[in-house]
Amino acid sequence: MGCGLDEIATRLRGGERLRAGEALDLYRAAPTLELGRLADAARAAKHPERIVTYIIDRNVNYTNVCVARCNFCAFYRPVGAGDGYVLGFDEIFAKIDETLEVGGVQLLLQGGHNPDLPLGWYEDLFRAVKERYPTFRLHALSPPEVIHLSRLSQLPVPAVVERLVAAGLDSIPGGGAEILVDRVRRLLNCHGKATAEEWLDVMRTAHRAGLRTTATMMYGTVERPEERIEHLLRLRDLQDETGGFTAFIAWSYQPPNTELGGIEATGVEYLRTLALARLVLDNFDNLQASWVTQGGRVGQLSLAFGANDMGSVMIEENVVRAAGAAYCMDEVEIVRNIENAGFVPKRRNMHYELLGDPIFRERAVPRMLELAVARAGEVGAPPPEVARYPARSRAEKARRAAR
Amino acid sequence: MAADRQAGSTTAELEAIGERLRAGDGLASGDAAVLAATPDLVALGALADERRRAVRGDRVTFVRVLEVEAAAAGAGPDGVPPRAGEVRIVGRPANIAAAVAAARRLREAAGRTPVTGFALDDLVDVCGADASAVREALAGLREAGLERVAEARVDGVADPAWIELAAAEGLPVTRLTVASADADALETAGTVAAWGAAAASVRVFAPLPTNAGPRPSTGYDDLRRVALARLVVDNIDSIQVDWRLYGPKLAQVALTFGADDVDAVSPIDTLEHGWRRAPLEEIARNVSAAARVPIERNGRFETGTARP
Repeated sequence: MGCGLDEIATRLRGGERLRAGEALDLYRAAPTLELGRLADAARAAKHPERIVTYIIDRNVNYTNVCVARCNFCAFYRPVGAGDGYVLGFDEIFAKIDETLEVGGVQLLLQGGHNPDLPLGWYEDLFRAVKERYPTFRLHALSPPEVIHLSRLSQLPVPAVVERLVAAGLDSIPGGGAEILVDRVRRLLNCHGKATAEEWLDVMRTAHRAGLRTTATMMYGTVERPEERIEHLLRLRDLQDETGGFTAFIAWSYQPPNTELGGIEATGVEYLRTLALARLVLDNFDNLQASWVTQGGRVGQLSLAFGANDMGSVMIEENVVRAAGAAYCMDEVEIVRNIENAGFVPKRRNMHYELLGDPIFRERAVPRMLELAVARAGEVGAPPPEVARYPARSRAEKARRAAR
Repeated sequence: MAADRQAGSTTAELEAIGERLRAGDGLASGDAAVLAATPDLVALGALADERRRAVRGDRVTFVRVLEVEAAAAGAGPDGVPPRAGEVRIVGRPANIAAAVAAARRLREAAGRTPVTGFALDDLVDVCGADASAVREALAGLREAGLERVAEARVDGVADPAWIELAAAEGLPVTRLTVASADADALETAGTVAAWGAAAASVRVFAPLPTNAGPRPSTGYDDLRRVALARLVVDNIDSIQVDWRLYGPKLAQVALTFGADDVDAVSPIDTLEHGWRRAPLEEIARNVSAAARVPIERNGRFETGTARP
């Protein structure tokens, strides 16, 4: 490495905190494998036992109807679209049953900003889930969804969080962060759903309410390298303040079928970004590999570039698939990749508490060769329980009037 | 803790190997086994990358290849995409006459684009491993317009003398490849290195298996193969990855683990996804993003100018 980079590396090895300019120098100029070495050393310092964790959960998107209209999203459908859907409670219960069958412990439940699903729908859903499956965890509703519910219900965010927790919310996923810089968010048409400060405020509120959350970054759209670093520094600052983040997950923007279009960042850029995140986020214990966007091979290589977690078995995925990526890894594959990289695989929950060894070694579980989708076949009419709640959109009011 | 200590001690051994390589001493006895056994993939890659830089600089060559099945080549394409840098006949020919006919047909269709084809071990096998029959077959293929034998499988060629024979007959082998996903990475690289001058006419070694095993290979396995190839094989300068077979992400990362040549970039560009996702733009962008200089070559290894 160059002289300045050597000094930064020396400071890092001495346990000093990376500054913004230094992070930018490393990202721009450090050889990829040197970045990897530094990140791997940082990973080893936090996780010397060489355990790599993963969670068995299911990524369920309860609706694809969304008023946010982010231009990087291939998943959403506008209100009234023929292929818009809302999952019924029974469909969600069936997905939970399937998740339990393969040893799963939670749903990662996220969806569009659907104006016809008020706060009460979520409360009723969460209560129904907890009534049927008392120990099953709900890792649900990213900050922009919480803000959407706050706006719909005319309640402040803390009150919304309090009601959701009372109904059964266990933790909040870090989706919707994209890049936490408002210049970027305006260009991505996601400034309206949540500004950078609003996203951070929801997380601050959740942490103060005792919830643990994750943090994410979707990079590779219109941001500059220094804006990626600003994103990381804002997360680091909030983590200093609350300590509420359990993990950080970075993934690359998937351009196919989106309004924004463009090209995907390369595999090397992913590994460099991940490594840099490990170095900047010195107060985050866990970094996940994004095999769902990078594929199994580069997903596994993440373990040499700072990641200590293989993320989720996932079971189902809709958002990234809508943008063309269709990678699949079941528990057997995830465990094989962890062991092949020289690590010890352990199941975990969202709080990163170890749950044990791989399930499939204890009992037979069905192999998955392909991730499931939210709803196979016809989209159909909304589930009956939606009619229990007042319609807000013109399209839904018209649909109900026509029946 | 024990595992990290073990990794640490292996890293020290890797550093000692690196010192020897920098001093120009080559690998000592036992070094290759240390390299193959290290759990420190990044340290292994860094050694390979250093070696790559010493041998090849920051140049990464790539070639756009039109592949035509041997069985279909007799009625093959009337024209070849103008962007192709190589027309390659793939697959085992039914007999030498069919192979010659395929070569002649594609030679006519290819214009000035180099035509290569076949695996040397297939040709040897079709000829019943009879040296005079192989000579005759190679002469026929050369006369029909074939310029090089596309590959010889390391796990298929029983004797490197066949490679020398092909070169002597004016049809040198372009690539040494590995067919079986079960082939041991160190053993394969060791075999190539042991062939020494017999493989001197070969231009590239592609260490990643061309046949998938019952399970997909892992990223660690693939990059370990690439790095070991770069460090152990000292008789062939270029280490190649297959763009189509292994995908842009893995192939690009391999460029930081010792590879310097990319095979099988598509010559067909429909521009249906826009020019920025056209094959040429994609390969150039990926090579540049790996901090290398992309240079297009053809099947004769004639290079163009570096792309910005």
